[in-house]
Amino acid sequence: MWYRVMKPGLGALALWILGCSTAVQAGEALDARLKSLEQRIEELERSTVLSEPQTAVRRIEVYVDENGIEHAEPVPGARRVVTYQRERVYRRQTINEQIEAAIADADSRRVQLGVDAAIVLQSVSQRGGAPAAADGSVYQLASTDLYFTAPLARYTFFFADVVGLSGTPQGSGDDGELAQTNGYGARIVEQNNLSLREAWIRSELWRQRIALVLGRVDLTNYFDANAAANDETSQFLSDALVNNPALGLSENGAGMALTLDTKSAWVLRAGYQQSTRAAGNLSDSLYRLVEVDYRANPFRRGEGNYRFWYRWDNASGTLLNAYGLSFDQKVRPGITLFWRYGSAKAGEGDDRHASAGVQFDNGRGFFPEDAWGLGAAESRFADGGRERLAEAYYNLRIAEKLRLSFHLARLETRASGQAARIFWVPGTRLQASF
Amino acid sequence: MPVFRIFLLVGLLLLQLPALAEPEIKIPDPSRVVVIVNRDSNDIAFLDMDRNELVGRVYLGKNVNPHMAMMSRDGRWVVTGGTRANKAYIIDVATLTLVKEIPVDFAPEHLAFSPDGRYYYQGNPDGDSVSVIDMATFTEIRRIRGFAEPLNITFTPDGTKAYVANYGAHWVGVVDVRRHELVKKIHVGEVPAIARLDPDRYLGEIRGISNATITPDGRYLYAADGDLGLVAVIDTREDRVVRRIRVGADPWRAYMKPDGRYAVVVNNGDETVSFIDTRRNEVVATFEAGPDMIGVDFAAGKAYVISSSSSFLYVFDMTRLKPVGRIKIGDNLQLETATTDVAGHRIYLAVSTNHSIYVVDALTDTVTRIPHVGLYPWGTSVLDSKNNYCH
Repeated sequence: MWYRVMKPGLGALALWILGCSTAVQAGEALDARLKSLEQRIEELERSTVLSEPQTAVRRIEVYVDENGIEHAEPVPGARRVVTYQRERVYRRQTINEQIEAAIADADSRRVQLGVDAAIVLQSVSQRGGAPAAADGSVYQLASTDLYFTAPLARYTFFFADVVGLSGTPQGSGDDGELAQTNGYGARIVEQNNLSLREAWIRSELWRQRIALVLGRVDLTNYFDANAAANDETSQFLSDALVNNPALGLSENGAGMALTLDTKSAWVLRAGYQQSTRAAGNLSDSLYRLVEVDYRANPFRRGEGNYRFWYRWDNASGTLLNAYGLSFDQKVRPGITLFWRYGSAKAGEGDDRHASAGVQFDNGRGFFPEDAWGLGAAESRFADGGRERLAEAYYNLRIAEKLRLSFHLARLETRASGQAARIFWVPGTRLQASF
Repeated sequence: MPVFRIFLLVGLLLLQLPALAEPEIKIPDPSRVVVIVNRDSNDIAFLDMDRNELVGRVYLGKNVNPHMAMMSRDGRWVVTGGTRANKAYIIDVATLTLVKEIPVDFAPEHLAFSPDGRYYYQGNPDGDSVSVIDMATFTEIRRIRGFAEPLNITFTPDGTKAYVANYGAHWVGVVDVRRHELVKKIHVGEVPAIARLDPDRYLGEIRGISNATITPDGRYLYAADGDLGLVAVIDTREDRVVRRIRVGADPWRAYMKPDGRYAVVVNNGDETVSFIDTRRNEVVATFEAGPDMIGVDFAAGKAYVISSSSSFLYVFDMTRLKPVGRIKIGDNLQLETATTDVAGHRIYLAVSTNHSIYVVDALTDTVTRIPHVGLYPWGTSVLDSKNNYCH
């Protein structure tokens, strides 16, 4: 009986408890929702967000059966076909990110232009031997390279280098031996005129193991590339230290360079080039070069590169051969030794050249990105003549695109049967590249 | 007695509910799965390492864009930061369910677990803060401020300190893990005075420190600074720089060989790789590699350097410290980061452009592709791997 009396009350109580519980839960859910909305408003206020999905085009593989129906997976009778398809992804980007990506994409499709400009100022002071006209003279040479690069296809791009030179470097007339103290002087074709130094197409083949360069080339850019003595724009100025004179290539020309590099210890290179514009065809001035490189890390003290090259040149009417060896070896962080040797047929005998030196960089200068070096070279000619050259330089990195270097070279030349002439050649080089 | 019957019925129903709701165990052994972050499909996928098949995925929500995922040390949880959702996510590994979303600061990216697993630190680079997530309560218990684009966090093995690398500055922050406070800023190097002549370079954009890499014994950190072109060696007992090692241009970060003998630094400014001997603290080799290097994985006695935009892995012999070749993963691919199995034999590489994971067998250098893992896989991780990292 008491149940019949209490039943309505119990029911009301149960309903009330249920209602309270529901109200509490609804309140908590509302609080959570409000917090979430406040968070989102704060995010929107902080950065403008684009919510529409991004689209991208992808290269995909599909399988097309004999009925022309496309399948995502292989099916019997279907052939694999490569096609392109648009994908839609839900990736949020801010407006800034989208603008940056669009600019970078546009830049990558354009022809890129680069500039490398240098001004070299040198003086000559003679200290021995028969008087030279260059004694006491000051020389200045300004050089500007304009580089153009443009992507053409996958792993293929076009490159051109147009150079203009102005000024009078040393080494004219009877003082011709002084020309080697300024590597820029070797570039002069005609003063104050633009000339096309290089123009070629480069492509990578066979899973990018082979690099092929075809066009108007400077083969010495690809061969005997010594890490410490190869670049007259940032290292030594003297040609005898920047290149191996036994290479014997004085002009750029139409040709080809091929490099097989598997990114392991060995690299093979081969190339040919027309060596003089005076010839009527390539066959009459064919310069060919092959090289083997070996990368080492002796005793795990530092990386080194060891090279052997051999060349043939028929520009003089007879086939003249030469060979060369070189290495550059890091012995401590920031200290690299280099050495070169070359022997070239010259008439009845051989001209022989050797150079060696050391480069300091990677924090071993006054400022972290400075570099300096010491080098010496000697040439003994088939006619009995001899030249000795020593140079020191300090390259100060003023800014990322601007360098100033100081050079001091000593040149001693002795023609066969004559007394030696000795010259001191101090100089500076201001170089900008961007 | 109808009331008694009603209570009895309700009681019996309540007893059945747990049995009805018991979830299915999808991953019985968390050490046998690879965790995959899929940035554009907004999920975390799980790959069975023995069968090379996906066993499940956990969807996080629209426009989340997860960045890095790690498994807790006990294998129970996977945590990740949703960069565009500004949240941290906790996933139950066994049942593959999303158990918690935790609002953090702006653009969470990289994270690290404390050695005892009690906390995980979530870096929020755009918010210049680090969120401290308590793994017992799944809540953010503290937000440590005062950083400059904090990218990566490294705990000492004893768990007392955490070092935070700041990409927007030239210092490494020291956090007291007991109090979750930034207590020190270790200055890694001087910007040269001549930098005043180069405002474009030094004021346009800053490339600071992306990671402070710790030796296995916890004694030293190797912090590479992009603008300064050096690696600072920090003694963790005294919290000071004991050596500065010059490397190549724009070094991204150092990757530590698991035995601690060498640190490999990728220099994206000149596309070289520097090898630092940690006993002498000097560079013992520098070799050419590729563009946009974003990771190094050590497996089978070799270092595999990931060159993102060239689709190559550059391989170096870590015994002779010489290059031994490169592996082409494919054409027109963008490689992301990778991890290795605990044995150090297989590398699991995420490739975003074709939505795949590539398994590289380091013993034979053969490559197997696992497609359709999700949209835009960004990174991978394996429980207890010595090669877990992110961009």
